[in-house]
Amino acid sequence: MTTEPFTREKLRQDIAAMLEIDADALGDDDNLMDMGLDSMRAMNLVMQWDEEGVPVDFGDLAENMTLASLWSVVQERQG
Amino acid sequence: MPQIVPLTEAQAGLWYAQRLDPANPIFNTGQYLDINGPLDETAFTSAVNRACDEAEALALCFVERPEGPGQYVDPALTPRLQIVDCAGEADPAAAALEAIRRDMATPVDPLRDRLARQVLYRLGKEHYYWAQQIHHLATDGYGMVLLTSRIAELYAAATVEGRREGRAFASLAGVWAEDAAYRISPEREADARWWRDAMAGMEDVGSMAPGKPQSAFTFHRHAEALPEATRKALLAFAKQKGLSWPDVLTALTAAYCRRFTGTPEIVLGVPYMGRMGSASARVPAMVMNVLPLRVAPDEAAPLADFCAEIARATGDARKAGRYRSEQLRRDLGLLGGHKRLYGALVNVQPFDRPPRFAGLEVTLHVTGTGPVEDIDFTFRGDAMSGLSIEVDANPDLYSTAEVRAHVERLGLFLTRAMEAQTLADIPTATPAEEQRELEAFNATAHELPDTTLTALLTGAMTAQPASEALRFAGRSLTYAELDRRSAALAETLRGRGVTAESIVAIALPRSLDLVIALIAVLRAGGAYLPLDTDHPPERIAAIMESAKPQAVLATDDPHGLYGSALLTPQDWRKEPQGDALPEVTPDQAAYVIYTSGSTGTPKGVVVTHRAIVNRLLWMDEHYAIGPQDRILQKTPATFDVSVWEFFLALIRGGVLVVAPPGAHRDPAALAALIRDEGITTLHFVPSMLAAFCDAPESAGLQLARVFCSGEELPADLRDRFHRRIRAELHNLYGPTEAAVDVSYWPADAQDRAAPVPIGWPVWNTRLVLLDDRRRPVPPGVAGHLYLGGVQLARGYLGQPELTAERFIADPFHEGERLYMTGDLARRRADGAVIFLGRADHQVKIRGLRIELGEVEAAIAQTGLVRSAVVLERDQRLVAYILPEDSYSETALRNRLAERLPDYMVPAAIMALEDFPVTANGKLDRKALPEPRFAAAGGGAPSTPTQQKLAAFYGTLLDVEGAIGVEDDFFALGGDSLSAMQLLLHIREEWGRDPGLAALFEHPDIAGLALCVDALAEGGTGDDSTGPLIRLTRGESDRPPLFMIHPAGGLCWGYRTLASTLDPQRTVYGLQSPALAPDRELPGSIDDLAKDYTARIIDIAPAGPVHLAGWSVGGIIAQAIAVELEAAGRTVGLVALLDAYPAECWRAEPEPTAAQALRALLAIAGYDPEAHPELETREQVLTFLRAGNSPLGNLPPRALDGVVRVVLDTNRLIRGHYHRPFGGRLTHIRAALDHRDRPDLTADLWMPYAGSIDRLNVPFLHPQLTGPEASTQIAPALCKRMDEMERVGV
Repeated sequence: MTTEPFTREKLRQDIAAMLEIDADALGDDDNLMDMGLDSMRAMNLVMQWDEEGVPVDFGDLAENMTLASLWSVVQERQG
Repeated sequence: MPQIVPLTEAQAGLWYAQRLDPANPIFNTGQYLDINGPLDETAFTSAVNRACDEAEALALCFVERPEGPGQYVDPALTPRLQIVDCAGEADPAAAALEAIRRDMATPVDPLRDRLARQVLYRLGKEHYYWAQQIHHLATDGYGMVLLTSRIAELYAAATVEGRREGRAFASLAGVWAEDAAYRISPEREADARWWRDAMAGMEDVGSMAPGKPQSAFTFHRHAEALPEATRKALLAFAKQKGLSWPDVLTALTAAYCRRFTGTPEIVLGVPYMGRMGSASARVPAMVMNVLPLRVAPDEAAPLADFCAEIARATGDARKAGRYRSEQLRRDLGLLGGHKRLYGALVNVQPFDRPPRFAGLEVTLHVTGTGPVEDIDFTFRGDAMSGLSIEVDANPDLYSTAEVRAHVERLGLFLTRAMEAQTLADIPTATPAEEQRELEAFNATAHELPDTTLTALLTGAMTAQPASEALRFAGRSLTYAELDRRSAALAETLRGRGVTAESIVAIALPRSLDLVIALIAVLRAGGAYLPLDTDHPPERIAAIMESAKPQAVLATDDPHGLYGSALLTPQDWRKEPQGDALPEVTPDQAAYVIYTSGSTGTPKGVVVTHRAIVNRLLWMDEHYAIGPQDRILQKTPATFDVSVWEFFLALIRGGVLVVAPPGAHRDPAALAALIRDEGITTLHFVPSMLAAFCDAPESAGLQLARVFCSGEELPADLRDRFHRRIRAELHNLYGPTEAAVDVSYWPADAQDRAAPVPIGWPVWNTRLVLLDDRRRPVPPGVAGHLYLGGVQLARGYLGQPELTAERFIADPFHEGERLYMTGDLARRRADGAVIFLGRADHQVKIRGLRIELGEVEAAIAQTGLVRSAVVLERDQRLVAYILPEDSYSETALRNRLAERLPDYMVPAAIMALEDFPVTANGKLDRKALPEPRFAAAGGGAPSTPTQQKLAAFYGTLLDVEGAIGVEDDFFALGGDSLSAMQLLLHIREEWGRDPGLAALFEHPDIAGLALCVDALAEGGTGDDSTGPLIRLTRGESDRPPLFMIHPAGGLCWGYRTLASTLDPQRTVYGLQSPALAPDRELPGSIDDLAKDYTARIIDIAPAGPVHLAGWSVGGIIAQAIAVELEAAGRTVGLVALLDAYPAECWRAEPEPTAAQALRALLAIAGYDPEAHPELETREQVLTFLRAGNSPLGNLPPRALDGVVRVVLDTNRLIRGHYHRPFGGRLTHIRAALDHRDRPDLTADLWMPYAGSIDRLNVPFLHPQLTGPEASTQIAPALCKRMDEMERVGV
């Protein structure tokens, strides 16, 4: 497990990288599915985060289709 | 009572499937965890029970309502963890597994049973199996993962300090609401449009194994880890190309699967979990969908481009992924029968990891994921730590060995793909399979003496000079005489300059001279060239021009084609002068036989002595031919089968019996010849064998062996042969280009193979199946059939280019050649080769080979149409045409009948204004209208029942506009689900349920209204199998028509004919009383007729009575007419629809139970030939029940009755002796049928009728009661009934 703190910006970068877009292009309230997040990409993200110790599972991602709402889940878990 | 909600779209398809197949436990999904470690049983129990409380779907309860099935959550049904102690068992693990297996194998009735169970099996100290089982209606694979993870989470919270309980599952109500919203949303409409566009122009979807994709009760499974190197290469490839590895796996697996279908495009099923951004994201429920993915790989494109294209297509499909594939199937008209939306399933599950339980070691074992219709390829693992290939397959379609082979072969395919530039670079077969294909299956090396046909013949002639060698028309020659005569003619030929490689044409009819001539040519060192004097002179002239024979042995030269080369028998030397005859060497040409070329120019195949010697000595040894054998020569010399007929007996000291000219087409003459001459061995082309088996004279023949070749040998002909004739039967295969035959299969009486293989290679011969790029293919994959070895012809006379094109250098054996047959074939798992057909456009309808191009050309030549396309649909030819002004269907039919054999005249002709084309301008076959074999029509509903039913149709099927009385429920879009709803409506409205069978039989408003009315008048339930049914109701002042059932005992098939009668009169169907359980048939047809007569008199106590019956029904109708006459009743029409007196069938062997069962298939409207796999009663009945035929929807006891009636009626017919009927019989003959039995005519009834009225209609026997035939037959029947009523009353 990494000790590096997980930030909203890291979340944005990870998702943007998976969607092959610039992190700047991903707004807090953009719908992630509209931006191209499908189940396979979501799964890859979840697996990546799992290795990094980020407490987000597939259900969280599937339920929270914006960066903002996903971040609130992460905060709640980390808190 | 909680609120009842409709099933979600995702559940509806499963609901219907389970209801149709209620005994099938395959809808149970399940898994068990192997748990090692100190499990806290109390904490675990409460974790499981709490998670089950949260997972509402596990407590679903289902109900059937008029508006469709519904569901609600009944907390009382929530599963509780059971703990079962197996520790005391001898083998606790085995005991637990057996219990798990038993539970999984127990079907669940969703209307009654609990959907889920949770069981913990104690196996020993710190060792458990925890089994979960949930009906598919309540969960999908992801739902199972959610549930398991939740239980692990709750267990951890209870047993590990600081672990949280986490969030409970969201409510099922959210999933329901989302489903309901989607149903009426514009998104759904947009998705529907997207899918219809995406599927446009799709050909019929095939799969990797033939057969019906209907899930069995179980499945085969095999799984193996993907090699580490391949897994790493896959990850590296995906990364380098910017692709996701699951997409790469899907694409490559699609390419692999396509190799097995052989079609340019395949359609895969790709599971879609449907959780993203959905209310179901955290709800165990059945949500997943299967998306059809069309894949038409360009095998020459760079591999990454292909993978990227599939990734894009998959991504696009997911965007419309909520649209149910069941609905799409309905949209595309793929419901029912064998039509598929997709074949193999490819499922990549990167999140499929064993759940983690605090302090425990667990491994996951999936015991079932729902129906396995065909074959599922699943990849499990996250690819970072490991990947496995798992194949689940329908055991009805795949063997365990095949499943294992797929796992291994696909693994290798993926490994090779990682080293390939294009798909084309990747072979299908494994190295072991290639080796087997090239060598093991072709290990035929056999020492062959370095000799010639000439030497074999002269050796035999001198070995036993006094023995009889040759017989023809009562004359006979000894070997010594044959030796002298052939030597003398050889001298004459030498005198004419014949030497090695000279060609001598022989244009003689079958005779002693013919055989002498053949041997003489070989002894003179030449090659003989047979000519058929019946061929058109232009064709013979072309062959003469091509072959330039040194001499022509013929009786005359009627067309002046032979010139100075002609040598008539008068010119032949009769006694040899002792001139030295040349030494002949094995590589000299022995004969030249011309075959038809696809371009219309015949081509001469040159075969050497070595090649034909191999063929003859193989046959001689393989079948132990000896001097006692008497071989019949009946094949024209221009066909190469004649070569062994001519020479096999003569090289072995046996007797060659030459059949008189013409005898080969006359079964009776052949049978007599076989008996009189004591023939031991002869050959038939299968179609001729079929005719021969039909001839009464062939019954009980005994001989040593019969050979078939030249066409496919149908399995049922093999069986028919063995019932009739006592002899070995052998199936041989080979083209003229490889010395007659190159493969053999013993089709003996015990042989059950269907299709009958062409089998195994003969000596020194290879049969090699190669793909388009000439690589060996594995068993099961269709390949081009190539032949190699000593029997190959030298080539085509004077056509080196054509020779080089067809005889290629063998890429696997230095210095050898392969002949490209143009045939497609595949190997069975045991290596036996099965012929599949030509690589070109050809169809077969009822076994008759038809070039669709030939029919199209014949239509074009009439000048009545601008353009024509001919297709085969359901075993019938359909012509789609663009008419000229001069066109009329009758004119076209008449002109076609002049040019084409009747079986090539299309059954339906559809005139269009334009042909539909696809986006890229090709004919869009899917968009062609359904053929109309008869006209439709119908007025507005008039009776209250009709009006009510029309209203139901409109509501249930969402039909806009008026519904007519002839509108068909299913044609309007009804399916089995809406059919059940309709029946519930009817039950509510009238308090009676006509039953699904009645709806299938009477899907039109008029017909169904009659059923409903009949029920309301006091019928009891589904009475469609009762002894008397009313088929139509007509004007009461017209005497009724009674129609008598055919062999199956049911009269449903007469409904069309009955309703076509104009003016309408009441038509009754007399059905077999033995359809009822526990009712035996009377002991004879006459007793049956008495019973029926009594029923007729009951209903029609006075006035004239009309009778009609098809097939067996005609036989009974005549017997009833006799009874009615004796009872003093006026008998009007007695119509026999293609029926023939009982004695025609007496000599036929009684059908076995198996045959009667297969006859059921025909009665149900299936082609029995298409289902050779159905042999047992259970198989046939299961198949029928699964299908959509009315017969299959009968209650089981009634279907049993039909089987019994078929068997018993056949027996009664054979024992029936007709009595004469004084009146007139109207006989309607199916004029297109009975090519095999031209003796079947109306005249056979002459001894049993006062007079006979003969009608011919241009249909086949089975078509007579169909809509098209009815339009011709009904008016004829009406006219006669009218006439007879005028005379009689």
